[in-house]
Amino acid sequence: MSWAFSNASMLAHLLGQNAYLALVPVLAGLVVSLPLGILSVRWGWLYPPVLSITSVLYAVPGLALFVVLIDYTGLTDLTVMIPLGIYSLAVLFPSVVEGLRSVPDPVRQAAVAMGFGTWRRLVTVELPIATPVVIAGLRVAAVSSISLVSVGALIGIGGLGYLFTDGEQRNFTTEIVVGIVLIIVLALITDTVLVLARRVLTPWQRTDRRARRLASRRAALAVTAREASQT
Amino acid sequence: MITFESVTKRYPGGTVAVDELSLEIPDGQIMVLVGPSGGGKTTSLRMINRLVDPTSGRILLDGKDVQESNPAILRRGIGYVIQQGGLFPHRTVVDNIATVPLLIGWGKAKARQRARDLMDLVGLDAEMARRYPHQLSGGQQQRVGVARALAADPPVLLMDEPFSAVDPIVRASLQDELLRLQAELHKTVVFVTHDIEEAIKVGDQVAIFRPGGHLVQVDSPQRLLAAPADSYVEDFIGFDRGIRRLSFLAADTLDLDTGVIVSQDSTAAGALAQARKAGTSSLLVVDSERLPHGWVATAGLESTPGDTKLADVPLTAGHGHTFRVDTDSLRAALDATVLSPTGEAVGVDSAGRVVGVTSYDRLRAAIQGADEAGRSASAAGSRPATEGSPAPEGVPTS
Repeated sequence: MSWAFSNASMLAHLLGQNAYLALVPVLAGLVVSLPLGILSVRWGWLYPPVLSITSVLYAVPGLALFVVLIDYTGLTDLTVMIPLGIYSLAVLFPSVVEGLRSVPDPVRQAAVAMGFGTWRRLVTVELPIATPVVIAGLRVAAVSSISLVSVGALIGIGGLGYLFTDGEQRNFTTEIVVGIVLIIVLALITDTVLVLARRVLTPWQRTDRRARRLASRRAALAVTAREASQT
Repeated sequence: MITFESVTKRYPGGTVAVDELSLEIPDGQIMVLVGPSGGGKTTSLRMINRLVDPTSGRILLDGKDVQESNPAILRRGIGYVIQQGGLFPHRTVVDNIATVPLLIGWGKAKARQRARDLMDLVGLDAEMARRYPHQLSGGQQQRVGVARALAADPPVLLMDEPFSAVDPIVRASLQDELLRLQAELHKTVVFVTHDIEEAIKVGDQVAIFRPGGHLVQVDSPQRLLAAPADSYVEDFIGFDRGIRRLSFLAADTLDLDTGVIVSQDSTAAGALAQARKAGTSSLLVVDSERLPHGWVATAGLESTPGDTKLADVPLTAGHGHTFRVDTDSLRAALDATVLSPTGEAVGVDSAGRVVGVTSYDRLRAAIQGADEAGRSASAAGSRPATEGSPAPEGVPTS
């Protein structure tokens, strides 16, 4: 404990780096998944091939990707962030597709029949209704990204993962335990922020626990489907 | 006015959903399209607001081919209600209703005010404004659906099986509500249903479709029941069309018997004398307000001391179901008669006071009288389906 307090500023720095390395790729993954998901729902034939590609990329071990990327991006943050972005994409893409497919058909039809254009329908009807499923996907992507960052420690860019390599070299268990605890704390904080964001963004769900459970089950299914497709 | 001119919809693969449909839907009326699934009624409806485009033929809305309009603009001017409501789950009731006004650029405040007015119009509590659709019952959701369709005050309303997903009691009240609204708003309504009862209840005109997208007959509900164009229509309407026709004949045409009504303050002897004079074996006892108490048989009165008040004589039977003379139909009167323990049914006024009593004989006389009047009034007879002549005037809808 006293070790943690005396090294507080270093730990804070590592925590910040871990958050940055983990969450920027999740955001990038979301930015890419949204148009990709929208197009895959619009043209159904796109979905299987795109899903296959993201699944194959998800299956490539992170360490292998680092080694390949070092030749191009060197020992920079990008070398860690690109693989994490790809993993996030692989989790978020099916979430976006599932979310958009969760828009009930009568709702979509009613929107068309009332004179919504394609774009307006997407922004004001379909994306808001997809939000719970997308956020459920974001929670999975964010938490796994936060823990995956530590692998980057093997090439010296690993956020809190540094505590593992350093602790191991010095045979100093406290450091490793502090690292694990901080990663869990960071993951919990991020998850809580996302849950709060969902509550703010989807006020209509606050009164309906059933719908929420349905949404997270859909997201879980999407992730399971992805994992099944990997094996 | 909506006009179908030889409209055909053929899907790739050869299925014909609508076959050479010609139909005129006059302004301010409810036109019901009814038929079995595969009859093409929903496809016909969806071609009006271009959710489906015809393979050949034209659909004119006030003389203008809908194919020449921008679909989104066209649709904003046509109200649309579907079976499952299709309400936006992420928007409150008031914002659901304000959808089209917001789309066509009303300000938020004005659109919301309009939405609140419409909630009042369709009978939704103002406190529901901030609720979300999933917090409402099925019937309430359909009311929101109707209010949303009416929000921008479109002249035309398309309703695709709007009340099919709710239970029969709620459905009946929604139908009544629609008729009440229509009496106020005079929209041109195209209403699709597979339920002939519903068609006959809400339609000013009913168009019957047959599988393969053929229109068989267009007529007012009375004439449909009186003169089905062919055996298909007759089968579709069902076996009791004669009884259902009575729904269109008012109970106030009945010549009601008042001779059998007796006050509970009368004596047994007085009542017997009255029964003998009226030639009846049972009397309807009423209180001082003329509210019905029940039937008393003369056979029982003969063994009762002559000065006993009727109030103290046990009733032979209750008065059974009553019918409203001023608002009910002959169907209700017949129903009350069939259910009555004495074969005579009690007609009452709005306060429940007895107006008179009817019997099978009196019902038959009223039906014959209406038939004779009907024959001279509608000598034109049933019109073939393809000729879109305007609807007859004065068609009662309830």
